[in-house]
Amino acid sequence: MEQSHPPGIFPAHDAAHKRPLAYHELRDIIDLSLWAGQMLLQYGATSQRVEESVHRIGTALGCDWLDILVSPNVITITASSGSEFRTKLRRVVSLGVDLGKVTAINDLSRRINNGELDRFQTRTELEQIDQMPRSYNRWLVVVMVGLACAAFSRLFGGDWIIFGITFGAAAVAMFLRQTLHRLYFNPLLVVVACAFVAGGLASTAGLFNLSDQPETALAAAVLLLVPGVPLINAAQDLIRGHLVTGITRGVTGLLISLAIALGLLLAISLTGVSL
Amino acid sequence: MNPLLQILLEDAFWSAIAATGFAILFNVPPRALPGCALAAACGHALRSWVMQLGLPIEPATLLAATTIGFLGFWFARKFQSPTAIFTVPAVIPMVPGTFAFRAMLGILAITNMGVFGSTPVLVEAEVNVVKTGLILAALAGGIIAPRLLFRRQRPVV
Repeated sequence: MEQSHPPGIFPAHDAAHKRPLAYHELRDIIDLSLWAGQMLLQYGATSQRVEESVHRIGTALGCDWLDILVSPNVITITASSGSEFRTKLRRVVSLGVDLGKVTAINDLSRRINNGELDRFQTRTELEQIDQMPRSYNRWLVVVMVGLACAAFSRLFGGDWIIFGITFGAAAVAMFLRQTLHRLYFNPLLVVVACAFVAGGLASTAGLFNLSDQPETALAAAVLLLVPGVPLINAAQDLIRGHLVTGITRGVTGLLISLAIALGLLLAISLTGVSL
Repeated sequence: MNPLLQILLEDAFWSAIAATGFAILFNVPPRALPGCALAAACGHALRSWVMQLGLPIEPATLLAATTIGFLGFWFARKFQSPTAIFTVPAVIPMVPGTFAFRAMLGILAITNMGVFGSTPVLVEAEVNVVKTGLILAALAGGIIAPRLLFRRQRPVV
């Protein structure tokens, strides 16, 4: 990320001073940079960051040049050194957002760029990042996401009863979401189910006349499902000219929004509370 | 206390809580959480303030997201980490989720209406779609503004 060279001039280690790599070394480097790129893409980095990090890792490890094609669910890399080149592609499945892993790979790429790590150490580090557990346990996530949605209800002007109901509905929906994800249900189906449950629980405010603004609880309780990262990344990709990934992420976000609306609609038509 | 100040402080507090919750969902490293909360609080309170002064939501969002973008840029330099771990959770309280699913609800609702009955519903849905798009563009444009303005370089890849 911190490249000290002026715009338009590539640093010395990118130039012709490099030793031509053997075929097996090239294989190793392309494998490592592809692995790093795969993790970045599947854990929620923008296309620009994937390209820059992969290029930096590959060239710092000894390649002359890397060409990277970031598609919505594939990364293709061609690495060249001297007169040799190799090309490899890897399928990437989206695995939910994990900015901890993105940070770790960013650190790794900086250290490689500073010449602190060779190929073998890089492989060990990448294995560690791949196995890295999440920083927060399941219950903390449930409570904090519930609290976040309850905070949204306050921002929308809800009272304290709405706050409590939103907290409960969102926390239960988050728990359900984690459970269904572990059972490998289709992601859109998970969103419909969670929006239905959150909407149903949040409707209690209206059903039992607990508050005079029941629609606030409904609107806030499903916000945990809003595809914030796909949508923001979509817009960033589009602005930067990565049109294909941008459009795909945008459509993903659109479908998730549609799934939220479906689940909510089911809940509303069942309980009869209006939004 | 000045009532406006109190409203803005409350606004800042709750948006900080919301951003922290989502930062935990996105597994942001613990050392970055205070930065997320601070950026979200400044951004959202700023947006509420300029909206009270009469600015529409879209330019207000652009202003707030740009502020978050610069704060995140500064934090990222301090912590030597990606900008996204600060900016993405911090703009989550401003993501137009309500507009987005209201638009979808509107589009789904027309199935049971006649041609004439559905017109106002469709127009309202369309308004929500446009608002969602503009606010998202403002958010993304705002958080990458520092890079677009100050990190220009010949494409590396």
